[in-house]
Amino acid sequence: MGSSSKEETASDGDTASGGASPSNDGRLFSEGERVLAYHGPRVYGAKVQKVELRKKEWKYFVHYLGWNKNWDEWVSADRLLKHTEENLVKQKALDKKQGVEKGTKSGRSAQTKTRGSADTKTEKDDTKNNAAKGKKRKIESGNEKDNASAEKLMKIQIPATLKKHLIDDWEHISQKDKVVKLPRSPNVDEILSKYLEFKTKKDGMIPDSVAEILKGIRCYFDKALPVMLLYKKERRQYQEAIVDDTSPSTVYGAEHLLRLFVKLPELLSYVNMEEETWSRMQQTLTDLLKFIQKNQSTFLLPSSAYDSDKVSDGKGKAKDD
Amino acid sequence: MGGRTDESGGGKEKEEEQDGMSVHSPCKTLPSSASSLSKEQSQVELELRLLEALEIYPPIKLRGIHRHFVLYGLMEYLGRSFERQFTADEVLQLLDRFYNIEMLKSDDEDMDILNHEEDFSLPQSYFDKEEQ
Repeated sequence: MGSSSKEETASDGDTASGGASPSNDGRLFSEGERVLAYHGPRVYGAKVQKVELRKKEWKYFVHYLGWNKNWDEWVSADRLLKHTEENLVKQKALDKKQGVEKGTKSGRSAQTKTRGSADTKTEKDDTKNNAAKGKKRKIESGNEKDNASAEKLMKIQIPATLKKHLIDDWEHISQKDKVVKLPRSPNVDEILSKYLEFKTKKDGMIPDSVAEILKGIRCYFDKALPVMLLYKKERRQYQEAIVDDTSPSTVYGAEHLLRLFVKLPELLSYVNMEEETWSRMQQTLTDLLKFIQKNQSTFLLPSSAYDSDKVSDGKGKAKDD
Repeated sequence: MGGRTDESGGGKEKEEEQDGMSVHSPCKTLPSSASSLSKEQSQVELELRLLEALEIYPPIKLRGIHRHFVLYGLMEYLGRSFERQFTADEVLQLLDRFYNIEMLKSDDEDMDILNHEEDFSLPQSYFDKEEQ
């Protein structure tokens, strides 16, 4: 089944899977490995979740990062690429060819990710060709994943000035070896509370739904911070700052909250949601971003407040270039 | 509160009570004329809708990191079905009739996310000039 263009030196040809070391049994990708996967004419970041030998061929069950898990599927090695610089370049080239910006936030979604009509598990060779352009709605009541259209990711528009902060933030940390001074004031918890206050004053009350979204944001922040919101150079600081049960949302501030917004589509891709509900949630998230933007002078650090990472001893000597 | 009222108390249209069928708070005294039957019905409707909603928002996700958003989804679903606001507590109470949320095993998928630590990086589009 399927084409196998790579060597498959599966030693026994039986259905043994797992346990064997990657290079010995002929499998090219291992469980948990980050890869690039063809789907239609484009290449997507993906992760191998399972590996099995089927009919003498290695098959890999992949999850496309940032996509709903309904898109997860078994593929052969010929659909996959190693996650290398070279292949990332290839990915970008294909993106450009499709006229698509990776991680684009524009309204149009030019994804050409479609499901095969009825069977989704035996997409043998529709790899680079015959990818009909289609859009699939994210509504998943019943079993609509096999038809209709979908937005690729739950997009969130981040205001330009906040994006700029994210870039500056990156520069301070990656290029200048600085870190955000902790603890931050206001911290994420406080920012969210301020937003709640602000809305209550403005509208007289907060719908329970908004409160729930904010709780969700805080929950994500606390869990996601060490997992996906830190630059490598911030890890040491994190180890020191977050001990025991300390919640990151009481230590970190807007700089890191903004990063959560960057990752939000990816996180939310694991949540099935009706389109209309998502649309309303988007409104709240956008509103929250506007609030942060409005208060950026107090919420976000100026450049001078980043500090070089050192073992904290209470002193806050700011080094500027 | 059994029996039909014959008094003209302003159109008390109680259809025959289905005693023994009610599983909902038989000891509640309804002061108003709202027939207990229709009250039952709306409770049943509520529950039906909730069960419908759970197809989209599975209970198991109420245990994991996404739980607030899943709950939000339920609140919105019911809100739209009945054209009124639902509080988180209301939904949780409804759920309580069917599930013991604490007993649900936590969502495995969460482990997917939480076990896969990676360094943050901004999407390439941030560094390209023509973004919006």
